Amino acid sequence: MLRRLQILIVALSVSLSWAPAALAQDRGPSDSSEYLIKAGFIFNFAKFVEWPPTTFAQTDSPIVIGILGTDPFGPIIDQIVQDKKIGGRGFVVKRLKWGADPKELRECKILFVGASERTHIDELVQIVRGLPILTVGETPGFAEHGGVIRLVLEDNRVRFEVNVDAAHQAGLTISSRLLTLARIIQQAAVDTRKPG
Amino acid sequence: MILQNLSIKRKLTLITMLTSSLALILSSASFLIYDLVSFRHLLSQDLMTQAQIIGYNSAGAMAFKDEPAATATLSALTAKEDIITAVLYRPDGNIFAHYSRGTATLPAYLPSHVQEQGYRFKGGYLEVFHDVTLNGERLGTLYLQSDLRQWSQRARRYANILIVFVLVSGLFAFFVSSKLQGFISRPILHLEDTMRMVSVNKSYGVRAVKTYGDEIGRLIDGFNTMLSEIQQRDTVLQSTNGELKTRTQELEEEIYHRKQTQEELLNAKHAAEEANRAKSTFLANMSHELRTPLNAIIGYSEMLEEETRDSGKVENVQDLKKIQAAGKHLLALINDVLDLSKIEAGKMGLHLETFEVSQVIDEMVTTLQPAATKNSNSIRVHLEENVGAMRADITKVRQILFNLLSNACKFTDHGTISLNVDQIQTEGKNWIQFQVGDTGIGISAKQKENLFQEFAQADASIARKYGGTGLGLAITHRFVQLMKGKISVESEAGRGAIFTVQLPANVVVEATELAPTKEASKSSGTLPETKSDQDTILVIDDDPAVRDLMSRFLTKLDFHVVAAANGEEGFRLAKRLRPLLITLDVVMPECDGWTVLNRLKHDSDLAEIPVIMVTVVDNEARGLDLGASNYLIKPVQRERLAVLVEKHRVARSSAITEQDSVPLYVADGQPAHELARARLSRTRRN
Repeated sequence: MLRRLQILIVALSVSLSWAPAALAQDRGPSDSSEYLIKAGFIFNFAKFVEWPPTTFAQTDSPIVIGILGTDPFGPIIDQIVQDKKIGGRGFVVKRLKWGADPKELRECKILFVGASERTHIDELVQIVRGLPILTVGETPGFAEHGGVIRLVLEDNRVRFEVNVDAAHQAGLTISSRLLTLARIIQQAAVDTRKPG
Repeated sequence: MILQNLSIKRKLTLITMLTSSLALILSSASFLIYDLVSFRHLLSQDLMTQAQIIGYNSAGAMAFKDEPAATATLSALTAKEDIITAVLYRPDGNIFAHYSRGTATLPAYLPSHVQEQGYRFKGGYLEVFHDVTLNGERLGTLYLQSDLRQWSQRARRYANILIVFVLVSGLFAFFVSSKLQGFISRPILHLEDTMRMVSVNKSYGVRAVKTYGDEIGRLIDGFNTMLSEIQQRDTVLQSTNGELKTRTQELEEEIYHRKQTQEELLNAKHAAEEANRAKSTFLANMSHELRTPLNAIIGYSEMLEEETRDSGKVENVQDLKKIQAAGKHLLALINDVLDLSKIEAGKMGLHLETFEVSQVIDEMVTTLQPAATKNSNSIRVHLEENVGAMRADITKVRQILFNLLSNACKFTDHGTISLNVDQIQTEGKNWIQFQVGDTGIGISAKQKENLFQEFAQADASIARKYGGTGLGLAITHRFVQLMKGKISVESEAGRGAIFTVQLPANVVVEATELAPTKEASKSSGTLPETKSDQDTILVIDDDPAVRDLMSRFLTKLDFHVVAAANGEEGFRLAKRLRPLLITLDVVMPECDGWTVLNRLKHDSDLAEIPVIMVTVVDNEARGLDLGASNYLIKPVQRERLAVLVEKHRVARSSAITEQDSVPLYVADGQPAHELARARLSRTRRN
């Protein structure tokens, strides 16, 4: 069962890398393929982002990926990060609910905010402000409202926006190599203040 | 080779330039090569770094599969002019993004597959493969291709700089060496100029100026030293030359003087020769002039003596004998002087004939018997049996023996005269040796020295005591020499003397002495017709005294004598009378004796008649050549004439009686002329 799944993933990644545009065109924004890519992106982000050294309790403390709200990935993301290590650290995927213990939110290093939580974005930003948490969202205006990275589907291609200020405020260092691929978003100062 | 004949200036310049340029080119080239090699290395390192940077920068794009971003990253290479191709491969080898200078399309040339990380030069391009990794994960490979434009540009630029540099420095070297070569070439050229000046002007006073103390300076020093030496020698040579000229002039003068002297001498020689000829002519004339009257004196005195004796006037006989003796002495003197002058003049020829030695010996002994008897000497003859005939000039042999024997007789008193004849062999030749010995007064050692010299008798007193001309031995000596013989003497004063003469048994005459030989014509075997019992003798002579004397003498010998006063008459008479023999004078007016003789011998009727020449002309050889049987010189020795005519008469009678040979001498050894005398006296008595 697991083996069949692995074959499937490999086949998917191959088809993705060959012609992601064609894939998107043919099947449309199918959830599974879209989130497969997005899961890969999230994993790749971890490579280009540096957390402050004090963030982790130990040198081999895992990078916790929190999925807030409705989980669009399913087991795909678990499979992608499974057994992967970046700088000696492994991955842990946690699924979180809005309104649960904010402490759990704060323990995450990467926090994916699902589309279901589009109304709580400002609130969430306030909660994790000043914390070294890479927030990744999907809803339009997520980066403008203080989220660090927003994944965008454009012309059947997954792209991303980065709010450099938010990353800076979170104490995260984003590699320029990532930034060259991203659309840089300036945070609307009024907006950020008003919801606070 | 043109290079070798270049001037030293150019050679120096050329050498300097070549050396400096070569050094420059070599060093520049090595620098260039080093630079280009290191630059290539640098380029490769640079491209590797480039690949690293681009790989790093495109890692994100590759991670997020962002092709435009990757393409954009690669587009940054536009700034790097030498990179013409850049390709990003996915891990599976497919192309993810690419960049090509000037075009948007894929480059025509791409590596067939992804290769190991690293750089390589390939076909004028530099290629680099670089793995793109992210957190140790290989995302793909970057391929960069550089056309080495920088390198080739650099190389070209460097080459240009090098060329310009070499040219400029060559030019500089040319100027510098042109200026500096003067240090070497100038003194050499100066030396050359000086040398040319010396050789053209021949002035050795010129000196080369020494500029520096180097080898050339030393060369110039050496040259100058040499020049001064040459100059010195030249001076010496010139003075010597002058001296030589003076000497030559002196020599020429000397030669001129000598030539003059030589001419004078030559003239003198001619004069002397002329004088000598004149002397010879004079002598010949004198002999003729002297003999002609002597002939008469001796002849008539003999006749007178006989007639006086017959008539009984004994007291006059001694006087007549004295006249006769004086005349004969005078005649001998004249003959000797003539012989000697002939020998001196080299006119004494040899007339060779073969004769029996014994015959001559007998003749001599007979002739000298009276002389020996006069001093109461006896003559002893010893003839070796091996002595036969010899070939020589019989007249001279006869005279040699006569001289020696008569000398022996003269200087010996109551003694013995010996004559030994032998044939010996020395020096590979046969010799006839005559030894004449006596027991007389002998010859002292001092006298021997001048014995064979002319006019040198042993003592002046001897001439008075013994008489003689003093020429006898000198003439003997000369005759012996003439026949290539030897003469020697052994003697002591008071002990007698032995003269030894050796003559070749076969005398050979040298070409100059050659006188044509002809055997005396023999008596003919045919019988001439005669009209009388008496044998007729024809006497041809222009001198009436001679005709008279001959007629009288020969008539006494029981001959019929017919005389002719000239050649023409004589020839006519001979033709008519066919005489037993003819006596012929040479010197006659109109037709001389030679002509008559010639005509007689060429007349077939008369050729056989023997002719006896009776003349004052001493040319026996010619007479015998022309066919004369005998040759007598006036004044005629009557004994000899008697012997000859008897011989012919006997030959004639023997021819008649067909006897092979009739000895000239009778059996008891009495010579013919004694017989003649006997017959003469018998006639007289009748």
